[in-house]
Formats: sequence, structure tokens, C-alpha cells
Amino acid sequence: MSKYLQVFKISFQQEFAYRLNFVMWRVRNVIQIFLVFYLWDAVFANPDRVVFGYDREKILTYVFGLLTVKALVLSARAMDIAGEISRGELSNYLLKPLNYFNYWITRDISSKALNLSFAIVETLILVIILKPPFFIQSNLLAILGFLVTISLAVFLFSLLLFIVSSLTFWMPEAGWGIHFLVTVVIVEFLSGALFPLDILPGSLQNALYFTPFPYLIFFPLQVYLGNIGGLEFIKGLSISVFWVVFLWFSMKAIWQKGLKEYQAYGR
Amino acid sequence: MNGSNKNVIEKTIIVEHLSKNFEVIEKKPGLIGSISSLITPTKKTIRALKEISFTIMKGELVGFIGPNGAGKTTTLKILSGLLYPTAGFIQILGYDPWKRDPAFLKQISLVMGQKNQLWWDLPAIDSLELNRAIYEIPDHTYKESLTELVELLEVKKLLYTPVRKLSLGQRMRLELIAALIHRPKVLFLDEPTIGLDVIAQQKVRDFIFDYNRRFQATIMLTSHNMDDLMDLAKRVIVLDKGQILFDGNLKELINQFAKEKIIKVLLSKEADIKKLDEIGKVKKFEFPSATLSIPREVAAVAASEILQNFPVADMTIEEEPIEEIIRRVFKGEK
Repeated sequence: MSKYLQVFKISFQQEFAYRLNFVMWRVRNVIQIFLVFYLWDAVFANPDRVVFGYDREKILTYVFGLLTVKALVLSARAMDIAGEISRGELSNYLLKPLNYFNYWITRDISSKALNLSFAIVETLILVIILKPPFFIQSNLLAILGFLVTISLAVFLFSLLLFIVSSLTFWMPEAGWGIHFLVTVVIVEFLSGALFPLDILPGSLQNALYFTPFPYLIFFPLQVYLGNIGGLEFIKGLSISVFWVVFLWFSMKAIWQKGLKEYQAYGR
Repeated sequence: MNGSNKNVIEKTIIVEHLSKNFEVIEKKPGLIGSISSLITPTKKTIRALKEISFTIMKGELVGFIGPNGAGKTTTLKILSGLLYPTAGFIQILGYDPWKRDPAFLKQISLVMGQKNQLWWDLPAIDSLELNRAIYEIPDHTYKESLTELVELLEVKKLLYTPVRKLSLGQRMRLELIAALIHRPKVLFLDEPTIGLDVIAQQKVRDFIFDYNRRFQATIMLTSHNMDDLMDLAKRVIVLDKGQILFDGNLKELINQFAKEKIIKVLLSKEADIKKLDEIGKVKKFEFPSATLSIPREVAAVAASEILQNFPVADMTIEEEPIEEIIRRVFKGEK
């Protein structure tokens, strides 16, 4: 276990190696929040306005929640995996008694922990400046549910990323295109990262709930907002656990096959 | 039973009828070629290794030579578990490399001259600490190995500098430390001195020699640098087009492939060089010295002929330089 602790530490150091880069990244996030806030604030300038069942307070909470959850789930260092395979850098890891998946999960968690701690401070400052009408969840059970579902979401996204990245074994050149299609377009669209999924037609929503995507962003957020509880929560939780287990074993199988194709390029 | 078991352990590397095929998609030149290969890809199988077999004993240092594309690197990658063999049997330290058993990985290392494992933005010491954790090296062993390696490779001052600020030679030496910090019993070195200056090359060579002797480590080394091979390897395996051309003592290689002897003559008076040319191939003539290369079988006859017909002050008969021989082996001459 201590080897992954060391991976955690060195990732942290790596993030700090480019201090200015990191600061700029955080500045970008803050500016993004300002933009989003003023955009929706303008749309809902009239306090009685309701769009798709969302009023000013709800949409602002959803949008802010979205930024936080997206930063937590969809930002992943593991994006580099496809590149590491096609450039042959994977060899470095294969030569060592180290689990590549655990390695990347650890690096992701490290990067997320760092970004999260900064995000908390920034959010506090912004809340003081903007005084947005936020919905703060006070139900401990909902908060606990949120923490569980968000952890599952992190795991689920890492698995999806790993599976998509492993296509590079067969198509070293095409890897990035497919990557973009799946992780950026499909995931963003179907996870609720662009708009709340409950504005979609009912039948489409029902079908979507059987895919892993809503459990990345939309589901955890709804749990936090207190819109999902009881039986619905259990159902969603079971589906996302199923996907985690299913994707885990698929990832193992695909990865095993991919390694046989691996050509350790780059000399 | 016991006896045969011991036998297996002594043979650190066993390779039998190892083959590896790669499938590549061929692309015709230009844009139209790209499009047509996208629609109807033409696959071609490249046979990188064709049923090669060899065994290497514990503590041996074997040089692996052959032209580019002969299959040297492919072999090393298969032996270290990176590539999946198409056919054949491989056993290293009793393990099947492809299974990448952690116990196996802890005992081997592959160093590729142009690949780096050190974290680019951080000082090397951080990467070494990471390797300590990954290989689960006990603290005192780690300290001991580190002190020793740092001393041998003279890099004490470089450990705390971000890797990106180091020169290639400095970096390569630190890469070696990172690859050896867990004291592997089997070491695969692929062009370890590539891109280094003469002094750094010598340092690395001395170190490899020392490591081999001190830890009874089994080492396989590929290099295009003749000095590497002559300094280090007693035994060489010559590989070409995926097949073994020669496996044995470096001296035997010379006997087998050296077809000519070199006669060096020091003349006491001017003589007609054309007459010398009739006896053998004149490689260099710069009065008063001349260098001829003569087929082995007739070397003695040629020597006496020279003595009889020319004003000779001094004469020596030598073997062909080893580089010359290996170069010929590379070219595929028999």
C-alpha cells in the first residue's frame, strides 16, 4: 500500500513543479464561475421566472454544483493514458511491480485533492462576494449519499477512461479521436454536464438511467439537492454499482487482450 | 530430480524456438494512399524473430549484436515481459516473463538508452524514492544501494537537481541508478551508451562490468558501440533478420569470420607499389610503411614473397581488427 502513498506524494510534487501553471488554472476556474453566475443571473433576472421547472435559486445551485462535481469527476490526469500507450511510455510501468490502474487512480485522487482544497477556499471567497442564493443541504443522510455517489462516479469515470484509452492498443493513431468522442462529447452530453437531464423527454430519461452516464454528474448532484431519496436512490445506487463491477471486469479483460497487441513503440 | 532442478536455476535465461510476428498496415505514399489504406487496409505480417533459441547462465554477460531491425530490441522486450511472444518457450529465473509476476519484476530491469523513467520536472531523488516504495526495498538496503551506486557513477551532486536541467550524460547515469536501485539479478541493457561522450561511455562501461562481477548479475547487452562489446562481453550472439547467425565466444567469432590477415611492412628503400599490389590488396601506402590485407591461407606465402622481393626493414603479421570483422558480420557477409 505504501507504494501508492508514494505515488500520491510524487504526484502532488509534480503539480507544484509548475506553480504558475497551477495558479493560472485556478484563475481560469474562478473566471468561469463568474461568467456562469452572471449569465444565469441575467437569464433569471425576473425572480418569478421558471424554466424547465428550475427557478433562480435552483438553477444557480445546479450550475455551481455542476462546476464542482465536474471538476471532481471529469477532470482526470488519466487522460494521458492513450498517449502513454501510443508513445510506448507504458513500458516503464509494465516493467515494475505496480498496478497501472491503481497508479492512475492514485494520481487522479492526488490531483483532485489538491484542486478540491483550492476550490473550497475560492468558493468561500466567491460566496462572500457574490452572495448567491444557494441551497445548502442540511440533511446528513443526503450529504452521505452524495459522498458515496460521487466516489462511485470518480471510479466509474476512471474505468470508462481506461477502457476507451485501451483502444489505442489496436489503433495507435485513432486513439485520440475516439477518446474525444466518448469522454468529451458523449459523457458531457449524457451525464448532465451541459444541462439538467430532467428537461429531456420522460422515455429518453428512463432509458438513460440504465446507462452509466447519468451517475457521473447528474445523479450525485440530484442526491445532494435532495431530489432523489429512498427507493429511487437505492435503484440508482444499484445500477451504478452494477456498472462499476461490470466495467471493472470488462476493463481487465480488454486490457489483458490489449497488452498482447502492445508493441512497446518508441525504439 | 534435485539435480535437474538445480540445473534449471543455474540457467537463468532459457529461450526455445521463440518467434514474434508483428502485423503492420501498409500505407501507400501521399494523401490518396492514406485514404485508400483507411478504406482497404493491406495488412502485412513481419516476422521479427524466427524460432531463436539460446540459454544464458547465471552471472554471464552476453553481447547481443546485429544490424538495425535484426530483432535485438524485440528479444529484450519479450524477455522482460513487455511483448507477447507469438510462439516459443521462455523461462527467466523460473518465471514466464509475460505473466509479469511481481516477484519476477523485482528481480529484473530493462534499460533503454532513449527511454526515461525519471520524472522530468522533479529531482532524481524523488523518482528513486518512488522506486524504493514500488519495489518494496527495505530502508537499509535502499540506503546502501543508493550510496554505492551514487559513488560508482559519481552523481552525488546531481541527485537534488530537477532532471530537466541535467545533461544527457548526467541523466543517463541517474537513469541507470533508477534501473538498478532494486539490485536486479537479470539486467537487459539496450544501447546503454547511446548519445554519450567518450568519457561518460567509459564510466557506464566500467560500471556495468563492476555490477556484473559484484552481484553475479546476468546481463544481456545490445550495442552498436564496438568498444562496449569488446570491453564487456566474452560471449556474443549475432542476430540478423530474426535469426541467430552466431552464438559463442567473441574469439571464435573472429576465427570464423576473419578471412584475412594484415601484413604491415616497413620499407628501407623506395619500391614499386604496383608490384606489392600483385601480392595482396594494398590498403594503405605511405612511404616507408605499407599495409596489405591477405587471405589467411596464403598469408605465410605472401610474407615470404615480400621478404624476397622488397627491401624490408621490418614486417608484422596481424589479425584483422575486431571492429572490421563485426562490421562484416553486420553486413551479412559469410
